[in-house]
Amino acid sequence: MSGRGVRLGLGLVAGALMLVALYMVFVYVPTEADQGIVQRIFYFHVPCAWVAFVSFALVAIAGIFYLWLGQQVWDDLGYAAAETGMVFCTLVLVTGSIWAKPIWGAWWTWDSRLTTTLILWLLYGGYLMLRAMAGDSEQGARFGAVVGIVAAIDVPIVIVSVRLWRTIHPAVLVTRQGGHGLEDPRMVATLLVSLAAFTALFIWLLCLRFVTLRMHTRLNALTRSLALAEAAAQDT
Amino acid sequence: MSPFSAVLRKDLLLEVRGGQSTVALGALSLLVLVVLVFAFNPGGGEQGAEAAAGALWVALVFSGMLGATRAVSAENENGCMRALLMSPLDRAALYAAKLAAAFIFMGIAEAASIILMVLFFNLEFDARVMRLVPAVLLGALGFAALATLLAAISSRLRGGDLVLPLLAVPMFVPALIAGVKASAAALAGAPLAGSAVWLKVLVAFDVMFVAAGYLLFEYVAGEE
Repeated sequence: MSGRGVRLGLGLVAGALMLVALYMVFVYVPTEADQGIVQRIFYFHVPCAWVAFVSFALVAIAGIFYLWLGQQVWDDLGYAAAETGMVFCTLVLVTGSIWAKPIWGAWWTWDSRLTTTLILWLLYGGYLMLRAMAGDSEQGARFGAVVGIVAAIDVPIVIVSVRLWRTIHPAVLVTRQGGHGLEDPRMVATLLVSLAAFTALFIWLLCLRFVTLRMHTRLNALTRSLALAEAAAQDT
Repeated sequence: MSPFSAVLRKDLLLEVRGGQSTVALGALSLLVLVVLVFAFNPGGGEQGAEAAAGALWVALVFSGMLGATRAVSAENENGCMRALLMSPLDRAALYAAKLAAAFIFMGIAEAASIILMVLFFNLEFDARVMRLVPAVLLGALGFAALATLLAAISSRLRGGDLVLPLLAVPMFVPALIAGVKASAAALAGAPLAGSAVWLKVLVAFDVMFVAAGYLLFEYVAGEE
């Protein structure tokens, strides 16, 4: 099957899974007793967080392979993962805020998980700013790989320090643990289908972005060799 | 003389002769503290101590950014970086020397900020101020390690001065949290053992970022 066929297939799978997930989230799953209808956003929120974490891990892994092997394909993968991950990380923060307002009574609290996600968002925002400024050069790819690795090293210690920061201080609001018991098996099923749908969506988007960057790389190489050939033709 | 001490000696000599970095860093720290006193108008007592600890770390972040930028970008003038890279000098040794220089400049600026903080926030020069030293030194080392690596990147980009704070500040968050907590505890008169957990976070941060910088510097060092 051609690359185009694979991408089309991925898109169809993601779309179908998303339709099933939507049906389950809005029709099939029972409404949570304590939180009411708002709790349904949880089935979007958690898959987005999962996908965002996966993509940021991908940025670091691709960075390591790029510095090790020096192949442009690794940088294209890392860059594509950072961009896609940023979309889902933004969605995590937005859906979290929408949920928090009616449940906690505030759009934002400095809870450990919220703070960690925000720091993550800022880190990869910085990464994307760096890439935008460096342009598409070999230098930009190297800088991106280094920053991607350093950011990934930073994440565990951010998690530890933010957790210590919040547990030593009494939290103003109770943690969300109480809210998400997922007592009903239908809730678990919905969450699993949502996770599958968002993972498929992520892979599809990542593929599209990756293929675009690959074409961009090839175009750059062709332009360079064309310029070289023209210069050589003028010399003779 | 080892390559490390040769580069470090050159940087320190430049500083002793010209003295620009430490003066600029000290002046910036002074300004940050003054601005924060205006912004928060701190009273005395426990709240004052907490505000003072926060102000000290804001000053550290700002002076650290300036210090690392200067230590790295000074080499970009007149093609000094090219000469350094052409010399049989290990890139990791170059990083270590630049880190040591940035750390020393930051340490001097921090000493000045601690004195200014005591004056501006109406604290006392006593044992409590001495208990700040471990946290502040560890924080300065961590920030210097991080910022030296990132400054090597940002100094080679157009508009790179913007990239340095955008990357360095979020990455520094763990050390910032730990440092502010440990400093506030020290200023409130708590024994050092109570902040052990925060000092451990700072040590972990330092170890990770010094190692990362040492390993990754060779990929970012280069000419403008």
